[in-house]
Amino acid sequence: MAEQEELVNLTIDGQPVSVPKGSLIWAAAQKLGIEIPIYCYHPKMDPLGACRMCFVEVEKMPKLATACTTTVAEGMVVSTTSAKVKKGRAGTLEFLLINHPLDCPICDKGGECDLQDFTLRYGPGGSRFDLNKRHFEKPIPVSENILLDRERCIACQRCVRFTQTVAMENGLVMEQRGFRIEVGVDPAAPFDSIFSGNVVEMCPVGALTAKNYRFVTRPWELKKTPSVCGNCSVGCNVRVDVRVDKVLRQYSRTNDAIDDGWLCDRGRWDLDWINDTERLRTPLIRRDGQLQPVSWDEALRFVAERLRAVRDQRGARAIGGIGSTHTTNEEAYLFQKLLRAGLGTNNVDHAHGRFPATEPGALPWAWSDSIAGLEQASHIVLLGADPYHRQPIVDLRIRKAIRAGARVYVVTPEANRLDRLVAGVIRYTAGHTGTLARALLNIITSDGLARGEQGAQRAADRRASVAQETPERAAQVAGVDADALRELAREIAGAKGAVILYDEAATLEPSGATLAADVLDLALITGNFGKPGAGAGPLLADNNSLGARDMGLLPDTLPGYRPVGDAAAHAALGGAWLATLPAEPGLSYTEMLSGGVKALYVMGANPARDATPEQLAALDALDFLVVQDLTLTETAQRATVVLPAVAYTEKDGSFTNTERCVQLVRRAMQPLGGAKADWEILVGVARALGLGWTYLSPAEILSEIGRTVPLYAGVTRRSLGAEGVRWPFAPGERTPEGRATITGSPSITWQMLAEGVARAQKPGGELIAPRGRGE
Amino acid sequence: MADSVDTITTENKTLPLGPYPRFVTRNMDVPGIDRIEVYREHGGYAALAKALQSFQPEQLVEEVKQSGLRGRGGAGFATGMKWSFLPPTSPKPRYLIVNCDESEPGTFKDRMIMELNPHMLVEGVIIGSYATKVHHAFIYVRGELAFAGRQVERAVREAYAAGLIGKNILGSGYDLEITVSRGAGAYICGEESALMESLEGRRGYPRLKPPFPAVVGLYGGPTVINNTETISTLPAIVEHGAAVYGAYGTEKSKGTRIYCLSGHVNRPGNYELPLGTPLRTLVEDFGGGMRGGKQLKAIIPGGSSVPFLLPNQLDTPMDFESMAAAGTMLGSGGVIVLDEDTCIVGAVLRMTEFYRDESCGKCTPCREGTFWLVQLLERLEHGGGKESDIDLLNDICDNMLGKCFCPLGDAATSSIMSSIKLFRDEYIHHVRAHACLVGPGATRAHAASVTPVSAR
Ligand SMILES: Cc1cc2nc3c(=O)[nH]c(=O)nc-3n(C[C@H](O)[C@H](O)[C@H](O)COP(=O)(O)O)c2cc1C
Ligand code: SF4
Ligand code: SF4
Ligand code: SF4
Ligand code: FES
Repeated sequence: MAEQEELVNLTIDGQPVSVPKGSLIWAAAQKLGIEIPIYCYHPKMDPLGACRMCFVEVEKMPKLATACTTTVAEGMVVSTTSAKVKKGRAGTLEFLLINHPLDCPICDKGGECDLQDFTLRYGPGGSRFDLNKRHFEKPIPVSENILLDRERCIACQRCVRFTQTVAMENGLVMEQRGFRIEVGVDPAAPFDSIFSGNVVEMCPVGALTAKNYRFVTRPWELKKTPSVCGNCSVGCNVRVDVRVDKVLRQYSRTNDAIDDGWLCDRGRWDLDWINDTERLRTPLIRRDGQLQPVSWDEALRFVAERLRAVRDQRGARAIGGIGSTHTTNEEAYLFQKLLRAGLGTNNVDHAHGRFPATEPGALPWAWSDSIAGLEQASHIVLLGADPYHRQPIVDLRIRKAIRAGARVYVVTPEANRLDRLVAGVIRYTAGHTGTLARALLNIITSDGLARGEQGAQRAADRRASVAQETPERAAQVAGVDADALRELAREIAGAKGAVILYDEAATLEPSGATLAADVLDLALITGNFGKPGAGAGPLLADNNSLGARDMGLLPDTLPGYRPVGDAAAHAALGGAWLATLPAEPGLSYTEMLSGGVKALYVMGANPARDATPEQLAALDALDFLVVQDLTLTETAQRATVVLPAVAYTEKDGSFTNTERCVQLVRRAMQPLGGAKADWEILVGVARALGLGWTYLSPAEILSEIGRTVPLYAGVTRRSLGAEGVRWPFAPGERTPEGRATITGSPSITWQMLAEGVARAQKPGGELIAPRGRGE
Repeated sequence: MADSVDTITTENKTLPLGPYPRFVTRNMDVPGIDRIEVYREHGGYAALAKALQSFQPEQLVEEVKQSGLRGRGGAGFATGMKWSFLPPTSPKPRYLIVNCDESEPGTFKDRMIMELNPHMLVEGVIIGSYATKVHHAFIYVRGELAFAGRQVERAVREAYAAGLIGKNILGSGYDLEITVSRGAGAYICGEESALMESLEGRRGYPRLKPPFPAVVGLYGGPTVINNTETISTLPAIVEHGAAVYGAYGTEKSKGTRIYCLSGHVNRPGNYELPLGTPLRTLVEDFGGGMRGGKQLKAIIPGGSSVPFLLPNQLDTPMDFESMAAAGTMLGSGGVIVLDEDTCIVGAVLRMTEFYRDESCGKCTPCREGTFWLVQLLERLEHGGGKESDIDLLNDICDNMLGKCFCPLGDAATSSIMSSIKLFRDEYIHHVRAHACLVGPGATRAHAASVTPVSAR
């Protein structure tokens, strides 16, 4: 990693600083904590040098230099405070203000506006302009969600450059020239990108405003909390901005490893479900066929009584639990602990794709590389995946990889937003992602495209199992171009580093039973693993899809992917939990919804939404159904007891994103009156059951996870820090106070990956079809 | 044209081609010289044949260095030196661009070359491309110059047909493609990097430098960019040799260049003169003196982007160094002569409007500064100004000067700052009399406090 970077020494305002060669003066000043005001520059985009705000004086340079375009040189002497600098900056601000409407009192940006702030810090104090300002019609829409006030625009081009060079989507353009310049939209190309909201955040002034945020608050009224977006499995780092009892927006908190400083519009704005006035504010118990408000005490006592009754009458196996891909790791952990240790059943599952069981030593089913690693890939293959709509910020990183030269192949049934930017597009009939994966394996194993000894061995192991799955057959059943598949196979096999990603949902297609293992084999056989920019894995559905599995919301697996029959795990966990654990695997999601249980505990899931008529009947036939959720979902409407829960913005905890990064979620607002966090509810139920749980905070639960779950060994809230840590963890250094820390280990070995597929395989190479939702 | 050349006498016998040779304007007045046959009858493309046969590219670069040729686009950078900045080899293709975007107010020489003698330009392009080992050259013609554009396009077509462009030119094994491209009407696209943006199909914004075009230019490849006249001088240099060309002009400003004489003179027009020829020779001998016997008030010697000279500076030699010493610049060679009836504030307003309208809008000081300057000048010119506006103009210029992204913003300040320095009393007259000193609607109410033209 730590390549010896060449350092350059300079002084800024008399303070010495050393920065890597090629750094900008602006970055060197940042390092010293010296502010250099910028408008057009944005650290994620190339220098532009347009706004002329960032003047500094450099010794021996006749003119003022722009700090955002001037690279450092050895021995450079920079001043950010000389009289010349002050006059230059004040001059620029005076220029910017001559055509500015100065409608700060009614501007949404007022209070967090760089034009206001820099004018206060570096401005001339007054204006000598006593003539006619340029006028434009007040805000005009540039998209469905964004309005543009051209009078406030300072023509810094940030927004335009973002849409053109970062998002690479239809977007904004500069129109006209000179003082007539304005931002505009191509009438033939609507600004409808899912990344559009970033321009609102980047705009240094109030020229671009979000429709849903206009005139609803002033920035200083907002409570701003660092957290993680809960809207998809990417886990972008956000700042949650809350006014009194409403989340108004999420802003980026820039984690280069995950979001690179960007958010998608869903994460930024789709927060209405949190502010929903229909949210539940009190527990409900069904009486006389109606759900009726009751107190928490009564509800918890009632739940405990009924669960105990079912267990006493029908045995623990008559109780089941369906957990959530949205709740925190702490809550998922407590949920399965409640069922396993508290109620004595392994009937616990959640809605997920089909992945083979994982054994200790094997890498669990997750992306074996990272989002940031995409930038180093020579090839990226999207197999039945549509990150633009499902994991948007991954799509944005793929665009960055394209700019860095990656050849991207979009292999999807439907048109994809990336199509026009990529090296290859392959279409096929929906439902056949698995067919294609096996056809690729067929080509690679039969055309001798394996790389390395291990790859060749693996190819030999797999050849027979995919012998029938020729590209021609795929062409027949999946309507795919066989030659295109052959070309793709060769590209993958010849890649310096290929990343192959499939969507979790594709594993649930009829052809997708072995997709996870097949794709991993594709990477293993072609040598695409174990280095950044190479690997394979699923793009998961929800914000804590991976955490749910990590925490053992699975009928056959304890937290950390230890089999429920594993004696050592029993001893360890049982000891910690002070309980005897059931050893035989429990019922799956589908089995529980097919009359397998009499009492069902649902936390943060809505199985009734996409249930079959038979499954709905089974739900209705339950003796007891308890549901924890925010609103009266389809499932909650059928419940015996409904317990009102809160959103991720109202509680502490952690999520594990699709590339294995465990990150802290922080409470950004008061929980809705009457509702409780899922972990609190679970503790309440456990106590009503007489289990003597004493957890006072998610921090305590996480520490227990860090002690009892080997995959999460060492995890504490403190150890996760501001930007999270990716598993597998390695012990880190000790902090000055002697506390142990953890670091993420990037080294995923052949052994770990191969164990995964080996376990999924019967002797002879045929793969075992794992269970998922819908089976 | 300089039809009075023969009437001028000089003692200097060391000049091989007489005192006022015509290198770049030769044959310009031959009827039909814009067609390839006539051009060839008059010796056209012989220099190309000589260059390909007798020179290695490196020798040609050396020859151009020896000739002392300096860029005619404005900055006067040594052409051979510029060429030698190209890296010897590069992974990306290298290009040569001819800057035919001529838009500087007062400048109309490139247009004449393109319209009257386009083959001389094309011949220069081929020689220049061969010297710089370029296999694809672009000629970027200002959009408004429709006829010039058509002339150049036809010349290129004719040269292609004659095998002078394309593969294996004149059996030399040297290949060259030439593409003619037309601008869409923006002064800024004459700035070399904005021109490249425009050629690549984007909005004409100047690019950040470094990297300079010689390293990263058109389509990211190493690029030479030269002015029309610079390139059109190459055939003559090859034909006569660097020594003959370099015998003209001054020590540091060698050769001849075309001066575009305009304004209140009797014979405005393009005159090719050796560098270092005094302004007076151009204005009085070639230009036939002041129109209507009026008095000279001021001269802008190098296009609208350079500071004014006063009548008492009429003997300044027109070379880069002497002009700089006189506080102005030779610029694009556009010599604008203003007589005593010219309102300086009005003239400056007119020029500043040009910069306001042509500012690309990329950088703040130029975009907003030119807007403000025009408003202030307008109110001064129309009699509504305040005395403090004059210092304000100066300070706005100071906030632009050296602070803009490209030289256009600096250029916008030249006429204002120099006119306030030289004609402050005329500005004050506008404020006090609420009217101009001279010209339509003028009043001489406060003329007593203004230095008379005859005293300058
Ligand atoms: C605003 C601006 C406009 C310019 N316009 C022209 C032009 O129209 N023609 C030209 O040859 N050079 C123009 N230049 C100069 C070019 O940038 C460049 O220096 C020149 O083409 C180089 O050629 P030369 O070395 O042969 O002079 C302009 C420069 C600026 C800053
Ligand atoms: S709208 Fe905002 S971001 Fe876009 S150019 Fe104007 S000031 Fe800059
Ligand atoms: S990509 Fe996902 S995590 Fe990131 S902002 Fe969008 S919804 Fe939130
Ligand atoms: S000085 Fe600035 S605004 Fe003016 S033309 Fe150059 S880049 Fe454009
Ligand atoms: S921030 Fe440096 S010029 Fe705009």
